[in-house]
Amino acid sequence: MSPSKIPPLTYKVVAECSVSKARAGLMTLRHSEVDTPVFMPVGTQGTLKGVLPDQLIEMNCQILLGNTYHLGMRPGIETLRRAGGLHSFMGWPRAILTDSGGFQMVSLLQLAEIDEHGVKFRSPFDNSECMLTPEHSIQIQNAIGADIMMQLDDVVKTTTTGPRVEEAMERTIRWVDRCIEAHARDDDQSLFPIVQGGLETPLRERCVSALIERRVRGFAVGGLSGGESKDDFWRMVHVCTDRLPRDKPRYLMGVGFAADLVVCVALGIDMFDCVFPTRTARFGCALVDRGQLNLKQQKYKHDMQPIDKECECSTCLRYTRSYLHHIATNESVSCSLLSVHNVAYQLRLMRGMREAVHRNEFPQFVRDFMARHFEGEPLPTWIREALAAVHIELPPDIVDEQAAAQS
Amino acid sequence: MKFVINKQISRDSGRLGQLLIQRGEGAGQLQLRTPLLMQTTKGGSIPYLSGNVFEYVSKEQQPLLLQLTLSTMDQMAESLLQYPSGLSAYVGYPGYPNVLLFRDPCETTPSGGNDRDVVPLYTRHGKGSITAQRYMELMDSFAPDLYQGLCDADTNADSSKKRVQKSVDRTERFMDYCYEQHGKLDRLSKSTLLAPIVGGYSTYARTQSIKHARQQPANSFGGYVLEGFHTNGLSATHLEASKLLPIVKHCVTELDDEKPRMMCGAYTPLMILELVRLGVDMFDTSYAYCAAVNYKALTFNFELNDENGCPKQTPFLDITDDTLKEDFRPLVANCSCLACQKHTRAYVHHLYKTNELLGPILLMVHNLHHYMAFFETIHKSMASDKLSELAKLLNADSTADYSIAKNVKVINKAGMGKGFVSATN
Ligand SMILES: [Zn+2]
Repeated sequence: MSPSKIPPLTYKVVAECSVSKARAGLMTLRHSEVDTPVFMPVGTQGTLKGVLPDQLIEMNCQILLGNTYHLGMRPGIETLRRAGGLHSFMGWPRAILTDSGGFQMVSLLQLAEIDEHGVKFRSPFDNSECMLTPEHSIQIQNAIGADIMMQLDDVVKTTTTGPRVEEAMERTIRWVDRCIEAHARDDDQSLFPIVQGGLETPLRERCVSALIERRVRGFAVGGLSGGESKDDFWRMVHVCTDRLPRDKPRYLMGVGFAADLVVCVALGIDMFDCVFPTRTARFGCALVDRGQLNLKQQKYKHDMQPIDKECECSTCLRYTRSYLHHIATNESVSCSLLSVHNVAYQLRLMRGMREAVHRNEFPQFVRDFMARHFEGEPLPTWIREALAAVHIELPPDIVDEQAAAQS
Repeated sequence: MKFVINKQISRDSGRLGQLLIQRGEGAGQLQLRTPLLMQTTKGGSIPYLSGNVFEYVSKEQQPLLLQLTLSTMDQMAESLLQYPSGLSAYVGYPGYPNVLLFRDPCETTPSGGNDRDVVPLYTRHGKGSITAQRYMELMDSFAPDLYQGLCDADTNADSSKKRVQKSVDRTERFMDYCYEQHGKLDRLSKSTLLAPIVGGYSTYARTQSIKHARQQPANSFGGYVLEGFHTNGLSATHLEASKLLPIVKHCVTELDDEKPRMMCGAYTPLMILELVRLGVDMFDTSYAYCAAVNYKALTFNFELNDENGCPKQTPFLDITDDTLKEDFRPLVANCSCLACQKHTRAYVHHLYKTNELLGPILLMVHNLHHYMAFFETIHKSMASDKLSELAKLLNADSTADYSIAKNVKVINKAGMGKGFVSATN
């Protein structure tokens, strides 16, 4: 069926950090090559908020995320099929990853119920009762035609404890087999299973052991970044990457704050996604190493610098903080301008990490980044511990020195 | 600024000319061809488009005159005093010449609030009142290349004789002050003042307003802005030619020929052709914007070499139309704009349904491209004396309606999401 014998996803580790678990890789998909570690901007409804595909290509964005739940609702799978898939429908020639729709349903729809069959919910459009099964999720994702698709998983709130967590983990494993069975385009699209198991190490370990038995080309780590403590968060990531095979890409779902990205790359994650950069843009916020600038604040009214002097995005080359202060949240073009900058920021951060791994200078990159990010503030303990777990030591006095220098 | 007329065959054939705008010392001058299409902006930006995206649209089309408006930029005055590189660079268009107007031609200006000493300034923050003194202080802060003088332009075809007379009298008072200050203010030493001509639809009042301007020393202002025909926004698309054209014709015969004449607002393409024919030199892109915000793609045909006799004219494609759901054609066949080259009607319709920002962005990209190409054709047809053929083409279909109505269609949520449901069958 496929024109070529080459699998729709190949991944190779190109360089490894000699200290931590960080690695730089090259993932080759049907629509694009993707340099990892990679941040995938979220284009929920077949568009990244106010940004043209050509602009994303100019920024060297190689892969976007689309949301199956939204796309299944609008334009719907029949339209997507007739358009020849999402790439063609939205005019995006590069790679796409889709989620399964399950997470969106459970988080957006209060009435969703899960049983062995699938996720039952009411349509927000006509209130009719619908059921999303693993098979349906795959059917929709096959119509969307993304390069990478996600299995439907049994999603529980991250902070859930007790037997429900184990049940969800076991069911996720049963569902991955149904997804693999239903997958009709394995020559073009790669299906990732999702590691579940809440915040319990033994469950995560069992889940990974079961999933690596399946014939898949990469893995996602799910069920994190949902309000659990940072301490639990990094330990779960660490447990998973310790056991996932080295020669396949690892995708940590829903993570995208800069410090989290740096820590999780050190822990051996290759792929990330998050709506935060584009969402915060709508409120007039611009990402910088120090965190974010809320450009609506009066102090930027006469600030004639670009958002970030180091940034080469089309927004920073052309506009001052002062101008952006005046139009942020007032003119809709500000949303486009800040989305462009924020996505460019995420992509640049990832590129910096890839290059540091290539030069085998990743630990120094992490130390420099943390010094800039937490300038004058104490470094959170979880970051110190997470990095220590992969042998990256942060100077304990760095904070005090900085603070002293400030005062 | 200088204005040169290159070609005028007869009084009714319009005039091809050039605006020459001097850039700083040694930087030479920019030549802008007239009839000129100014780029309408909001808050200094081309609506919905970043400078980066606008340059995808305008690649071959420089230089362009930015039309900035005080009603969308008043908050920036103080910042501009601290910015060294000038107004256009501040809004992201370094190197572009600019003209600063009072009102936003894209939105309807509310009526009322004028009196002897103040003109109401409607902004995002509501209504303010501007005296002539405050106005000139603001102009001094903005230091635009061109700017209009302060006027009471709150008139339209329905205004009473008394109201029209007031607008003329008040404008004279404001302008006496503007003329006086224009020569004194430091930051305006390189700026060109445009004299507002008001007087509604009264020939008597228009004559009086023109006389006041022409009494000034010839070098005290560089051009005319014909104001007071409509209240901006969609109102400009609904004007009656039989009312507007005679009064514009009256004005043009009384204005001196050596100065350019500007008319702002969303006049329909047909009206633009008639105004060009009468000798109006400067227009803006607010029509392209007004169509885009109402989810209409411009589709009117202005290709003179079409041999199909009397082609049907469809001025717009209504993007909210559900029949576009699976229409995978470009907005306009053979259009070379980025929206048409890379996207489909179905996709833009989807962006409308999902209320995504990229929808108006793509519509603006196409509409600006279409409208700029229309002006290109105007130039060409004037150069070959074919302006009336172009008007005939746009008029070929008497049922074609170029006016723009507010699109009140609300997103009808019922019936959506069927695709998802069918996936579960
Ligand atoms: Zn087009």
